[in-house]
Amino acid sequence: MLLELKNIYKWVNSGGRRFYLLKDAHLQVEEGEFISIMGPSGSGKSTLLNVIGMLDDFNEGEYNFLDEPVHQLKEKHKANLYKEYIGFVFQAYHLIDELTVYENIETPLLYKKISGSERKALVADMLDRFNIVGKKDLFPSQLSGGQQQLVGIARALITKPKLILADEPTGNLNSKQGEEIMELFKQLNEEGVTIIQVTHSEKNAEYGSRIINLLDGTVIEK
Amino acid sequence: MIKNYFKIAWRNLWKNKVFSSINIVGLAIGMASTILIMLWIQNEVSHDRFHKNLERIYTLNNRDTFNGELWVWNTTPKILAPTLKEEFPEVEEFTRVNSSPFLFAVGDMRIDVEGKFVDPGFLKLFSFPFKEGNINTALNETYNIVITESLAKKLFGNDEAMGKVIKIVGRDNFTVTGVVKDLPNNTSLDFEFLLPWSYMKVLGWDDEWWGNNSIKSFVMLKPGVKQDVFDSKIKNVTKEHSKNTGDLSTIEVFTQPLKDTWLYSKSENGKYVGSRIETVKLFAIVAVFILLIACINFMNLSTARSEKRAREVGIRKVVGARRESLMFQFISESIILSFLAFVIAIGIVELSLPGFNRLVAKDLFVDYGHVVYWLVALLFILFTGILAGSYPAFYLSAFKPIKVLKQTFKSGNTLVTPRKVLVVLQFTFAIALIICTVTIKKQIEHAQSRDSGYNKDNLVYMHIVGDIDKHYSVIRNELLNSGAAISVTKSMSPITTRYSDGWGWEWDGSNEGDSKTDFVRMASDADFVKTMGANLVAGRDIDIYKYSTDSTAMVLNETAVKIMRLEHPIGASVRADGETWRVVGVIKDFIYESPYDKVQQLAIMGPKSWFGVLHLKLNPANAISKNIGLAEAIFKKYNPEFPFDFEFVDTDYALKFQEEKRIGTLAGLFSALTIFISCLGLFGLASYMAENRIKEIGVRKVLGASVANITTLLSLDFLKLVVISLLIASPIAWWAMENWLQKYTYRIDMEWWVFALAGGVSILVSMITVSYQSIRAAIANPVKSLRTE
Repeated sequence: MLLELKNIYKWVNSGGRRFYLLKDAHLQVEEGEFISIMGPSGSGKSTLLNVIGMLDDFNEGEYNFLDEPVHQLKEKHKANLYKEYIGFVFQAYHLIDELTVYENIETPLLYKKISGSERKALVADMLDRFNIVGKKDLFPSQLSGGQQQLVGIARALITKPKLILADEPTGNLNSKQGEEIMELFKQLNEEGVTIIQVTHSEKNAEYGSRIINLLDGTVIEK
Repeated sequence: MIKNYFKIAWRNLWKNKVFSSINIVGLAIGMASTILIMLWIQNEVSHDRFHKNLERIYTLNNRDTFNGELWVWNTTPKILAPTLKEEFPEVEEFTRVNSSPFLFAVGDMRIDVEGKFVDPGFLKLFSFPFKEGNINTALNETYNIVITESLAKKLFGNDEAMGKVIKIVGRDNFTVTGVVKDLPNNTSLDFEFLLPWSYMKVLGWDDEWWGNNSIKSFVMLKPGVKQDVFDSKIKNVTKEHSKNTGDLSTIEVFTQPLKDTWLYSKSENGKYVGSRIETVKLFAIVAVFILLIACINFMNLSTARSEKRAREVGIRKVVGARRESLMFQFISESIILSFLAFVIAIGIVELSLPGFNRLVAKDLFVDYGHVVYWLVALLFILFTGILAGSYPAFYLSAFKPIKVLKQTFKSGNTLVTPRKVLVVLQFTFAIALIICTVTIKKQIEHAQSRDSGYNKDNLVYMHIVGDIDKHYSVIRNELLNSGAAISVTKSMSPITTRYSDGWGWEWDGSNEGDSKTDFVRMASDADFVKTMGANLVAGRDIDIYKYSTDSTAMVLNETAVKIMRLEHPIGASVRADGETWRVVGVIKDFIYESPYDKVQQLAIMGPKSWFGVLHLKLNPANAISKNIGLAEAIFKKYNPEFPFDFEFVDTDYALKFQEEKRIGTLAGLFSALTIFISCLGLFGLASYMAENRIKEIGVRKVLGASVANITTLLSLDFLKLVVISLLIASPIAWWAMENWLQKYTYRIDMEWWVFALAGGVSILVSMITVSYQSIRAAIANPVKSLRTE
């Protein structure tokens, strides 16, 4: 098993009352799965994804990732864990504006202390794979949304993560671009990468092997 | 990795040109000021410390009680140093130093040069390397002379100087036996030539009188001799030697290490405690603060732009950056900026050095060939970069990725507290400097407006050189008859300074305690009161041409009459310097020394004393140029060997304010710079604020707020900070200035309006800075700003 969430609660206190963002959430994810998280606005989809990605804390419950008890780990240890195993893809792409396509993809490798020649090879592979070799010297602002998201995914994949977390990866794209991105995810999944995506679109959700529905912070598995 | 940081840094700089230039220019100005001050400090603290034997060289000093106070002074009897060498085996070498100007002649060329009489030991004690000549023998013969490289060039051009003959006009011929390399800019022993002490004997200027303290003496002790042990041995040497001379002395002799003489020359209770070292410390503080203020700007602007950098921080953290690597990134960015600023700063330093040198009366330069300078520069860049970058690095790298990436991240609308503190710190310093500047200027004006007690208009003086003394009465008559001058007086010193003072005087009614009352001596042949425009309050002026007995006449100033407790001063007799003097007149006190101090007791003595200077009251009916032309012709006629050289008393008097004016100008300069740098930062901060609150402004305008309302709203935050700064700065400046004013007997009181003025100026300047951005934001069309959301 890749990860397991048990009785996860997350809340905020406001005006003397407690609002639950996650309420008794359960989830088990096996390696190689492609999961789509769905639900209405405010149901806690992104929160759940951030908890899985260890970017956000939770108040109660157990979370085991590759048999490590995340709820007992220190901040630094958690950070090391997600940096090692998880790649993130965002709705707003979140590329660094001042860096070129090439440099954006290279950035995660810089933090892993990988040698220059090896970095060059890895980035070249990625560019080649996503057919963006010709765009490697452009800046994000010079690319279309779909192209930017491709770069975003390439950046997430370059460290060969076990798990990709994608928060509405097609939310800012038109339908054709969106379709291409989803096809890419499917292909990656077939190559063995576990994927968890948050989406509003039924159609995109269908690409996944399993759909999880959230309502008011509680998982309603179908 | 580093390459990546540099790229990002460079692209960020380029993208935000306005911010970057504000940042870099502010930092560059701060750095340039700091570099200038550091050059000055380096020169000060290295003064006289380049001598190889520094640790063993000492100056000889005296200590005694006068007017009830313990005084020390660094001039000694001429006989002191040789006596010590003879009696104490601890002394390895000694030299006496007596400064004297001479008129040199080589062929047809005549030039005035400043130089010193020294003992042969001078060249072994001090390290003034020779370009040519032998250090051990150069000053052994009476008619030898050692000159500097640049004097050699002036006299002989590119010809060999060694062995050439220089004529000292009216004296003798000398052979050049040594050429010294030009002196460094940090020596207090300034000379263009050195003459052997033995020539002092030829001139009859040497004496063995233990009571005549007129030259400086240096000794070099043998290795291992402790100063305090040596001091205790030589303490009574003057007393012992004057025991049987009838001129009893109570003076104690002691040494001061040469390395301390420049920085510690002010004495308190018989010990050297400070003086220049205090200015050095003050300047060091100013340098640190100016750099700090520039760095604060940098911090403020960087953190103000944090929103723009926050997303990058979030992304980098998510893709694997640790906090340390982010901090490293931001600090290296600020080091790059600091480097760019440094390059500009060096440009500013090079451009402003000539002006700065004039201001501080020094000859400072950056020695680019010196590796130490480069190391210091590197350290300086790193230090500034790290100092300026530390807070932003700390602040920015702490962002939580989840917060900044959710796009809900907004840094607060108002100024964040640390930033407020930084702005207050900047303005506190700026306001304090303004207060100091105004106070110093007021104090100078106060002393300038003090009645000097004599009339400086049309008053000139010249030194009695060559044949002037021989033909004095003819010269005097011709000056008066030609209408060039309306009055001529011989005196001991220029009226703007004292050359001589003495004690041990007795008069009718004096007691034991009065023997330690120190009188300033001046002299006159006739018409002192008329020439100087002094005020006679009783009796008459000295006039040897009218009263033949006036060679021992004396005129006292009012303070002297009071100190001597003379009820009927006219006719009183005073026994001084082995003569009996008769008081013939009393004049009002006039300022002959510091315009900040009270006037000391003074006696103007008749021709039985000695003369060195000639004062002329030029004819006010003629143009000055005409008077000078007439006078020059007369002097050329009777003293043809010497050039006609004279000084205006009013210019001389103005020099008394030079040091204070210098400090005042520097304080003004620094406060202007600080205000400027602070306002640069404020401008950046205000533009950021206006940008950040654009939506709020739009909403307010739609709801009916006027441009004035909004401008006030935006400016008020900054106004508060400046007011707080004023409240902090005022007591600090008050304390500092009260301390400074204590130096002066004749001084102003601190007044409240100075503080009000400083506050007003800083509020005005900061509001102008801020209001440009505020008004721009306020008059913008709200539809535009609201549509963007």
